[in-house]
Amino acid sequence: MTIDPALFSAALRALTPILFAALAGALCQRAGIFNISLEGTMLVGCFAGVAGSWFTGNPWLGVALAVAASAAFSLVLAVGSVSLGGDAIVISVAMNLLAVGLTAFLLRTVFGAQGSFSDPELRGLDRVRLPLVEEIPLLGPVLSGHSPLVYVSWLAVAVTAVLLYRCRWGLRLRGLGENPAAAASLGVRVTRQRYLVVVAGGGLCGLGGAQLALGNVTLFAENMTAGRGWIAVVAVMLGAAAPVGVFLAALLFGLAEALGFRLQGLGLPQQATDAAPYVVTLIALFVSSRRLRRRDPVEGAVDR
Amino acid sequence: MTSRTAEATPPAGTARPSRLLRTRGGVVALAVLTGVVVGTLVLAGTGTNPLTAYAALATGAFGPDNLPDTLSYVLPVLGMATALAIPLRAGMVNLGGEGQLVLGAVGALVTGLFSPLPAPLTVVAALLVGTLAGASYAALAALCDSHLGVPLLVSSLLLSYPAISFASYLVRFPLADPGSSLPQSERLPAGVALPTLGAGQISVGLVAVLAVVAAYTVVDRRTPAGYEVRMTGLGARFASYAGIDRPRLTVRVLAASGGIAGLVGAILVLGFPFRFIDGALISPQYTWIGLMAALLAAAHPVGTAVAAFFFAALTSGAFEMERITQAPRELTAIVQALVIIVLATSTGLLRGKGGPR
Amino acid sequence: MTNTDNGTNHTTPRPVVRLRGITVRYPGVLANDGVDLDLAAGEIHALMGENGAGKSTLASVLYGARRPDTGTLDLFGAPTRLASPADAIAAGIGMVHQHFMLFPGLTVAENVVYGAEPLHRFGVVDRAAARRAVADLVRRYGLDLDPDALVRDLPVGVRQRVEILKLLHRGARVLILDEPTAVLTPGEADRLFTVLRGLAAEGRAVLLVTHKLGEVLAVSHRVTVLRDGRRTTVLRTEETTAGDLAAAMTGRDLDLDVVHPPGTPGEPVLEVRELTVAGRGTKPAVDAATFTVRAGEIVGIAGVAGNGQAELVAAVVGLRRARSGVVRLRGEEITHAPVADRRRRGLAYLPEDRGEVGAAGQASLADNLAAGFHRGPLLGRFGFLSPTALTRHARRIIDRFRVRTPDTRTPIAALSGGNQQKAVLGRELAHQAPLLVAEQPTRGVDIGAVQAIHAELVAYRDAGHAVLLVSAELSEIRGLSDRVLVCYDGRVVAEWDRDEATEHRIGLAMAGEAG
Repeated sequence: MTIDPALFSAALRALTPILFAALAGALCQRAGIFNISLEGTMLVGCFAGVAGSWFTGNPWLGVALAVAASAAFSLVLAVGSVSLGGDAIVISVAMNLLAVGLTAFLLRTVFGAQGSFSDPELRGLDRVRLPLVEEIPLLGPVLSGHSPLVYVSWLAVAVTAVLLYRCRWGLRLRGLGENPAAAASLGVRVTRQRYLVVVAGGGLCGLGGAQLALGNVTLFAENMTAGRGWIAVVAVMLGAAAPVGVFLAALLFGLAEALGFRLQGLGLPQQATDAAPYVVTLIALFVSSRRLRRRDPVEGAVDR
Repeated sequence: MTSRTAEATPPAGTARPSRLLRTRGGVVALAVLTGVVVGTLVLAGTGTNPLTAYAALATGAFGPDNLPDTLSYVLPVLGMATALAIPLRAGMVNLGGEGQLVLGAVGALVTGLFSPLPAPLTVVAALLVGTLAGASYAALAALCDSHLGVPLLVSSLLLSYPAISFASYLVRFPLADPGSSLPQSERLPAGVALPTLGAGQISVGLVAVLAVVAAYTVVDRRTPAGYEVRMTGLGARFASYAGIDRPRLTVRVLAASGGIAGLVGAILVLGFPFRFIDGALISPQYTWIGLMAALLAAAHPVGTAVAAFFFAALTSGAFEMERITQAPRELTAIVQALVIIVLATSTGLLRGKGGPR
Repeated sequence: MTNTDNGTNHTTPRPVVRLRGITVRYPGVLANDGVDLDLAAGEIHALMGENGAGKSTLASVLYGARRPDTGTLDLFGAPTRLASPADAIAAGIGMVHQHFMLFPGLTVAENVVYGAEPLHRFGVVDRAAARRAVADLVRRYGLDLDPDALVRDLPVGVRQRVEILKLLHRGARVLILDEPTAVLTPGEADRLFTVLRGLAAEGRAVLLVTHKLGEVLAVSHRVTVLRDGRRTTVLRTEETTAGDLAAAMTGRDLDLDVVHPPGTPGEPVLEVRELTVAGRGTKPAVDAATFTVRAGEIVGIAGVAGNGQAELVAAVVGLRRARSGVVRLRGEEITHAPVADRRRRGLAYLPEDRGEVGAAGQASLADNLAAGFHRGPLLGRFGFLSPTALTRHARRIIDRFRVRTPDTRTPIAALSGGNQQKAVLGRELAHQAPLLVAEQPTRGVDIGAVQAIHAELVAYRDAGHAVLLVSAELSEIRGLSDRVLVCYDGRVVAEWDRDEATEHRIGLAMAGEAG
């Protein structure tokens, strides 16, 4: 087996859905919301993307529908947890199941299909060739020739970083996650900010879903996110909810997945490579556990 | 107004939750009612007469022809609900039930295929090995939480995927049924099976699961261990203050949880069709339906059992509903998830605004 | 930016705040009952009262956090309604809370400008301007702060300056400080007073919420005294004495300095040797603490909050790991023993945070009172917990300590603070453990309960038990302790017998000035 540009190119493709979801998770984390509904929200995006592209014939309208549907879906978390004070974890777990049921239900009622839907007529996102970048030796083939959403995801990392660390909006968000009562007392509209973040996160998950269903492949299959949303949750932890950190964590999983496929070609059973990203994730968590180790249960008492 | 300040001093302007929402029973009733209403609307929306659909659902769940099917659905759902309720009682979430279930099944399968013991003893051994497999795998997730700093929620879920892949590999390659193209294991030797009750397909496994439910009820209410679990769930800091060793409790609670999940897996393999079929324990969503039942009942032992029974009946009855009305049975999954969402949301109202943890 | 009133006039104060007839009802309590309060520009006005007298409620009304049931507010001569703290800030009223409202992960500058940020275009924060603004304020008021430091890394006393800067940056003309010296050494408190005088001299109004007589006399121009939610008096500070104020606060002559008869120390029960507990960063929270508590004596630990007492207690009871050193209980080493083990060997603990640590709020009173007994005396046949035994056990504690509750199934959180404290104390005393660690045993408890709790602690000592008392109340330390230790900066800097431990000496030691 060789380490070649194609491997990294595959890694970048694989990481994109995770990256979108992880950015969403990072924003929510900064606002003090532990969002584990990324998996289901992304799945809704997958379905809406395929449905949008199928019925309009335009994959970009599919992307738009994916963003709208996922953002709408994430309103469940916003209303349930932010406004009404429900347990975000319970709501998120139920949302993930709701997404599985809902997309399977719609798959049957809308497409009359069971298990999965694909059709030669279904249009995915075209690959983009970057004129000059393409020419760069080694790097060119890695960076060029992806679906446009891959580049959008990089842009999203940069925009999120600027928003968080340079803008008033980000400063207020970072503060509000640390001490919501203080933020409110200083005139920040906590509920509104959190709504915005959860719904914007939903939109990002929609982009991730669209990339998965219209970029990486061109089909919808039940439960096709297959744990990517959970890996995104872990990426948020590993990357300390910082955009660039989250990107690096997602890259790790992208590489694991791409390597897995490669190894499969060399005769390793598919099941071993299926498991690879999760094992890599766990190991990465162990390695960084010192940082993640939860605080002494009493330390909080001492602090306050 | 933020959640935090609202908690400290009840602000003058906030509406109090209505009388209905003051008790857990009221909240559950509201959640279930919402589920029914949405289900009715969706049915009507897809051009199905809701009444026909509900009649079919009821027949499908409790009709004389279908009751055995329902009971064979109740077994794993009730078992998984109880398994997942135990950590919930201590305020912990075990999302790795599927992996523990599957490993229990694999443990029982391997024991059943290769045990040199006589068949009845092999059955007992298979149940034990299945339980142990589930218990130790769940305990591993607990150790990740207490010693490696990976939150239980994440460690249990992430461990689940490799376990499922491992089982899938086993039944496709080393243990595959050579006479079939399906991804399934060889059939267990004759006699290596749980005896059945009556004429139907109900194995004594259901009795075993009911015994587990009874044991959980007694432990929860009447033992020091159950007391410690409840106190940990109600106040984690209070529990450590009172001398309850949280890491150790986590491992034990998870071992109990995974053990029950593993037992359920073993029981399923030792029943019809007496083999492990790839995906057969995953695609019916036993684990997730069980988890929702446990959430609905706030992990209360009897409440969890009742909720699990109804969720299982709903899921099982949906097959008949689909046959008669063409309405997709996935509808029941939607309704169940909605019930939990409404419940969690209105529980937030009940508590006063909770805010994120 | 800040604004300054150029006219400062002490002789004829202009009222900037007029509260009239403020009434606030909490369920079961009349927290404020028709209270009036005037604040003038250029004055430091003390708001005094005991715990529970309604000071904090009144302050939160002025700060917009609590809307009064009746009553009016005139601000700068105009009737005003404040719907939220944000409204109050916009109107020029700022508050420094007892529990700071800061963002630990942000820098000092970010904390100060938060909510009123200087901006470039497109919502980008002008960080240079923010830093400059902070530096200006720091220089002008002599506050000594690094704008780029993370608040997380600052000591408590310094964090308070950040809070004050926040208000000044917003141009607050009325500043409310809630018990500001609770976290300060006497020296830091003096520096704070200097800053406050400077602010008043600029024409701002300062409301100092406190229950400490000394600082009221030292720094304020006028005093409003509350008792049981009512205003008892308003006085000019220069025309009053400590005795008058004490009488106005309590309605009787102050006898908090009751000194209980000394105990008769016996065998050592708790021995702490060179105990070190890790803190944040490299500096330990507790640094080589050494002391002994004997049977039949109360040892009091005094110190300003945040000087390591909490960590010391946590390490003794087993809720925090010791980095080095030795803890022995009745001669047996327990340095690294788990909590359950320590309790079995004879340790009981009344924690400062009774709501979260000392009890599980939503659990029933009976369940809460069973903690620690559930593996022993409450077990019935075959090792099962018997509900009747649980109820009987709870009844015993409830009767013995006069806990007021409808029944034993009530969630403990539904009881009043004082009754919760009595229940938790009752449970811990019922263990009859040779060592009781009591942390802030009377915080937030009404005066009657204070005396009852003190009597219980003394009786427990007289029964031959050892008591380690940690308190921020000097009068409590002096009234109860047979020996007094002082914690400063993580170290035990002084140890005196009760006769040597004068208020003056303790105060100096708390400030780190002990010889």
